[in-house]
Amino acid sequence: MNPSGENTAVETSGLTKRYRRATALSDCSVTVPLGRISALVGPNGAGKSTLLRLLTGLAWPTGGSALVLGGTPRQDPAFLADIGYLAQDVPLYRQLSAEDHVQAGARLNERWDGASARTRLRELGVPLDRAVGTLSGGQRAQVGLSLALAKRPRLLLLDEPVAALDPLARRHFFATLTTAMAESEEGLTVVLSSHLIADLERVCDHLILLAASRVQLCGDIDDLLAEHVVLVGPRKDTAPIERAHTVVHATTTPRQTTLVIRRGGPVIDPAYQAEDIGLEDLVLAYMGAAAPPAYAHLSTVGEEQ
Amino acid sequence: MTWLTWRQYRTSAAISAAALAAFAVLIVITGLHIAAVFHAAVGPCLAAHDCRWPADNLALDNGPVGLVVEFTLAVPAVLGMFLGAPLVAREIETGAGQFAWTQSVTRRRWLAVKVGWLLLAALAWGGVVGALVTWWSGPKNAAYLNAFDPGTFDVQGIMPAAYTLFAMALGIAAGTVIRRVLPALGVTLFGYFGIRLIFMGWIRQHYMSPVTTTVSIAANYLPSGAFWQLGQGFRGPNGLISLPNGNNIHTVGNGFPLSDVPAACLTHGPAGGTRPSPDVLSCLGSHGFVQYFTYQPADRYWPFQFIEAGIFVAMAAALIAVTFAVISRRDA
Amino acid sequence: MISFRVDGRSGVPPYLQLVQQVRQALRMGVLDVGDQLPTVREVVAEVAVNPNTVLKAYRDLEREGLVEARAGQGTFVRRRPTGPPPTTHSRLGRSLARWVREAREAGLDDESIESLLKVTLRSADTATADFGEGIA
Repeated sequence: MNPSGENTAVETSGLTKRYRRATALSDCSVTVPLGRISALVGPNGAGKSTLLRLLTGLAWPTGGSALVLGGTPRQDPAFLADIGYLAQDVPLYRQLSAEDHVQAGARLNERWDGASARTRLRELGVPLDRAVGTLSGGQRAQVGLSLALAKRPRLLLLDEPVAALDPLARRHFFATLTTAMAESEEGLTVVLSSHLIADLERVCDHLILLAASRVQLCGDIDDLLAEHVVLVGPRKDTAPIERAHTVVHATTTPRQTTLVIRRGGPVIDPAYQAEDIGLEDLVLAYMGAAAPPAYAHLSTVGEEQ
Repeated sequence: MTWLTWRQYRTSAAISAAALAAFAVLIVITGLHIAAVFHAAVGPCLAAHDCRWPADNLALDNGPVGLVVEFTLAVPAVLGMFLGAPLVAREIETGAGQFAWTQSVTRRRWLAVKVGWLLLAALAWGGVVGALVTWWSGPKNAAYLNAFDPGTFDVQGIMPAAYTLFAMALGIAAGTVIRRVLPALGVTLFGYFGIRLIFMGWIRQHYMSPVTTTVSIAANYLPSGAFWQLGQGFRGPNGLISLPNGNNIHTVGNGFPLSDVPAACLTHGPAGGTRPSPDVLSCLGSHGFVQYFTYQPADRYWPFQFIEAGIFVAMAAALIAVTFAVISRRDA
Repeated sequence: MISFRVDGRSGVPPYLQLVQQVRQALRMGVLDVGDQLPTVREVVAEVAVNPNTVLKAYRDLEREGLVEARAGQGTFVRRRPTGPPPTTHSRLGRSLARWVREAREAGLDDESIESLLKVTLRSADTATADFGEGIA
């Protein structure tokens, strides 16, 4: 990881956002290399939207720092031109049409490819001249994405853009996104938050997991999956395992123990059967570990009192 | 950025232009009529150079248009509330600001263009309304000499333009600081009228020290022209004569209370009560009683217009400065 | 022209699915030597996967010698995958069927058979020695 931030799209160090009554993000240090599609996952309220807003400069940090494309997020046309942002619920001017937004973009940006936005929307059958507020959720999301891509940004930050979309609309959305990545000449990095792990698994190669306003995981998905193992074995003392590795999450029944561990070396305990872990289970294991105490009982099934 | 501003305010601009046009038509038609009535009534005395002002018995439009003109007091508040307050607050509430503020324009530039056009519109609107009302009030001003009075002063000359500019700035600042449209509307409404009332009732009269003229008790004195009367009363050897409250107070002369007439100036009536003597006024004068007038002279009308306009413009500038300071520093 | 599918829940990484589909297409004659593989852009537009996934798959195929990337023109098929002739396939298939019959008669259900197959494949594959060590 390059500490100077030159080869990274995003590099944060202890980034914190505190409000009067609550802390939305605490001591967040993540790195997203250039060219990745990074999945930002975590429970609601974990700080995903906050992190994205801090990276765009829509919100200011109360602590720590962030480097986005090598610079601090700031009110500067050159910086703003390099980033694209799509907030939850795709907030646009409801009274204005998609065409109006494309025209506005042309006037508000130096680098603007309105033609490709119009072509893309026409191909998807999204009407350009109707008020955006009258379009369906999926169509509005496509308008929002097309507008963000027309900026030709180098970093695209998407906050739950497909939350309200049906499966076909989601597929179209991701196809548009991945095509834009393939076509991009100056290189495109994407950070995308979502709850739908299955979608993220096909499209993303990097993961940031936030829970309880803190970073739990950050890295390339292939590496993370290789580093974690599911151990299934008879119910017994897990101390030896805990000494050699990091136990992320443990589930016990009266007869059996299931552990999700981050490997500190080879696993040589013959009592356990080792299995690869999938992305969804990995995410759930970390989210479960950071869950509030009310959910703790879900980890221990049939525990003898 | 100008294009986007226009596109967003297209409908409001059309509606306000139509309203302004309708207002103008109403004012022009009725104004011409009032002028005609005025010239018909005072034509002869004008020719003979012996018109007496104020001409209180001249009835010039006591109809609904007069009410409309009074309601122009509210125009600045309306524009400030419905155009100024939502400027930033609406973008934040609907989230649409996140589109505008992640394009390649800084929030300050975005704000500068929108604020610029809104303030220009406020100035234009207020200016036109003020000009129309001033023209319309011409005959009334001449007949009643009331242009300097609170209420009339506020709707004529350059005051409407200055007030509208101020109200717009207040709305914009409120919306930017409060970030929610409805509370910002409320703050603009009450803030505007509160400040205006304070100025109208307490502050305006002190822009320049009022003039106090003392005249003899018998004189029928009125300062010339359209002066602004601030106070009037009587003074005696022992100081100010306080005027009693209530109805049916017996007075002599220009309202001197009978109860304060010294015995020397009273005579006994046939039925045994007291009544003022026939020469009571000169009697009061020789006992040291005088009348006083406190007022702002008519020739200070335009200086006052400029002073108050200057103050309101300065307040508007301060509000806009606050708006710019807040827009960048706080979260969007 | 080959048409790709990626199954998110199959347990096989997406890039490997693409590699396998190319190999299968070559075996079945859908792709022939000299044919051009779809461009990265075409693949992601159809399948909505990360472009890096496609690049990885094509690189893997190139390393195996099955395809070659020609600068400025695209990726083209170089040769068919080597493997045993069809007769070997049928011979092995027949002996496998015999073994499966024997396993079923012994009382193994399909799940146990699959599990046994997986374990055997793994222990025979030295590259995944790490995971093999936890097996009872």
